[in-house]
Amino acid sequence: MRPSTGNTEKSNLLMIGLILALVVFLALPAFISEGWISLVNEMLILALAACGLNLMLGYAGMVSFGPAGFYAVGAYATALILINTKLPFALAFAAGPLIAGLSAIIIGWFCVRLTQVYFALLTLAFAQIIHTIIFEWYGFTKGDNGIVDIPIPQILKSITHYYYFSFIIIVLSLILLWLIIKSPFGKTLQAMRENAQRAESIGINVRLYQLSTFVLSGFFLGIAGSLFCGFNKNVFPNYAHWGKSTEMLVVCLLGGIYNFFGPIVGSIVYLFLDKVITAHTQYWPLVLGLIIIILLLFLRGGIAGFIAERLTFRQRRGESAE
Amino acid sequence: MNLQGIVIQVLSGISTGMVIFLIAVGLSLVFGTLRILNLAHGALYMLGAYLCYWISALITQNAGGFWWALLLAPIGVALFGGLVEIVLLRRIYDREHLDQYLLTFALVLIIGDLCKLAWGVEYHLVPAPWPFQGPIFVLGMPFPSYNIFLIACGPLVFIGLWALIRYTRLGKIIRAMTYNREMANALGTNVPRVYTVVFMLGCWLAGLGGTLVVPTASAMPGMDMIVLIECFIIIVIGGLGSLSGAFLGSLIFGLVNAFGILVAPRLAVAFVFILMIVVLIIRPWGLMGEPE
Repeated sequence: MRPSTGNTEKSNLLMIGLILALVVFLALPAFISEGWISLVNEMLILALAACGLNLMLGYAGMVSFGPAGFYAVGAYATALILINTKLPFALAFAAGPLIAGLSAIIIGWFCVRLTQVYFALLTLAFAQIIHTIIFEWYGFTKGDNGIVDIPIPQILKSITHYYYFSFIIIVLSLILLWLIIKSPFGKTLQAMRENAQRAESIGINVRLYQLSTFVLSGFFLGIAGSLFCGFNKNVFPNYAHWGKSTEMLVVCLLGGIYNFFGPIVGSIVYLFLDKVITAHTQYWPLVLGLIIIILLLFLRGGIAGFIAERLTFRQRRGESAE
Repeated sequence: MNLQGIVIQVLSGISTGMVIFLIAVGLSLVFGTLRILNLAHGALYMLGAYLCYWISALITQNAGGFWWALLLAPIGVALFGGLVEIVLLRRIYDREHLDQYLLTFALVLIIGDLCKLAWGVEYHLVPAPWPFQGPIFVLGMPFPSYNIFLIACGPLVFIGLWALIRYTRLGKIIRAMTYNREMANALGTNVPRVYTVVFMLGCWLAGLGGTLVVPTASAMPGMDMIVLIECFIIIVIGGLGSLSGAFLGSLIFGLVNAFGILVAPRLAVAFVFILMIVVLIIRPWGLMGEPE
């Protein structure tokens, strides 16, 4: 039973890697400056958003151009509740993902009626509508001035404390996402991605599954948005901008969309490059464009995909040598 | 509102629509034939606008700078597009949609930054060229004569493209490939060459739109994305890959926008978005398109 031994070896390796990563992230604040902690925090939040998007993109094969819409709904919901009401932080925070999920039900209901290019365009259109509403509704969202100085509890005001707070939320969310993907539901999504017609013919209600995925994805994007709202203490309309959506898409692609950890790796690499390159030149988009092209032409499957492929390759070579 | 006001608003809506028709029809043509949604189409339009500014300034206005730009800038964009198609796009035709989106998006970033490097971030306006400098009077109301010129350009290009697709050999191949790509391949068409030519034609149209827009709206960073999203709306309303659909969609877009601005200035964009969503739900293949 060679393959199964290989799989156990691989999952053991993965387990060790995960525990190592967990320890590193927990210990980090002791070793790096506050500026870097805040960068790592940003990486983790973007990683969660990208993983939420990737549930649709990589697992269900639904290309969305508008994930930033739900991210912004989450951020604005938390921000508006904190600024306008006396509700406790926990409630305001929970409201973000819930309202993002609710709006995903409405928007998704329209979107899943369409496929491929039309689906992508419709998600883009809805995200732009969300952007327009936030941008133009001065009385409620303060338009392009954004909402600034959002009150968060005293205990979360220190960067390190907020880092741990968001780390816990993000790890829990990722575990939840992992369980979803490994469940029969997740397997069905992958079957739909491979061939929607066949999935339909064995009695799967494809639209319903797509809508559920859309809502789940919106929910996780909402968590990321709410976390970023508390992290930044300001929210701006450009959270819903299509540029933010493409950032998430690039992060997924950079890391690899057919690997659970792809978007996480992608987010870390992306924001690190962003920071390093912006320090040297204002032409970060130019460099990013070149990176994407190189990635597409020479590194298919993204960074995580590339590493996984190498590992399997080595393993296979080891086996044949035995 | 009185009659004159309505007429002026209709005219200005049509002139907006006709410029954007040039750009949208290029996007639609490329999509219909190559099956690639080119996100860089707006960036190519912006490149056309900057080239127009650059050539006009180089030749100076007295020597008819704008008219030279009108001739040369779109050709420059088409040549650039041909290069991009041969070097990059060709490698990803058989890939998934996502890879194609991302490659063309990378081009958006690269072209955008190259324009910034070359021409800075300032707004560049080219004055309306002779003989369209002054206003003309419609029912006693002044209306820029340059916009009348723009209104004429739309149908001209429409007829030209229609004739090209209807009567030439290239047009026959384009129609065949839009209708059934595999069959066209099997019948011995030189597909790569047709792809390059069609892509260059699409780029030429984007460049033409960019050139024509500079005397009314100036060349500036960010114009690429605004126009791209507008083009999406138009080709979705009209039908992806349909020539007459792009024309109809552009007219509707221009008019809804012109009257939307009167009703709620800040929400004009939302009206066209809503229109697009309605079309997508009732007729997902667009007003003039055909269901797949």
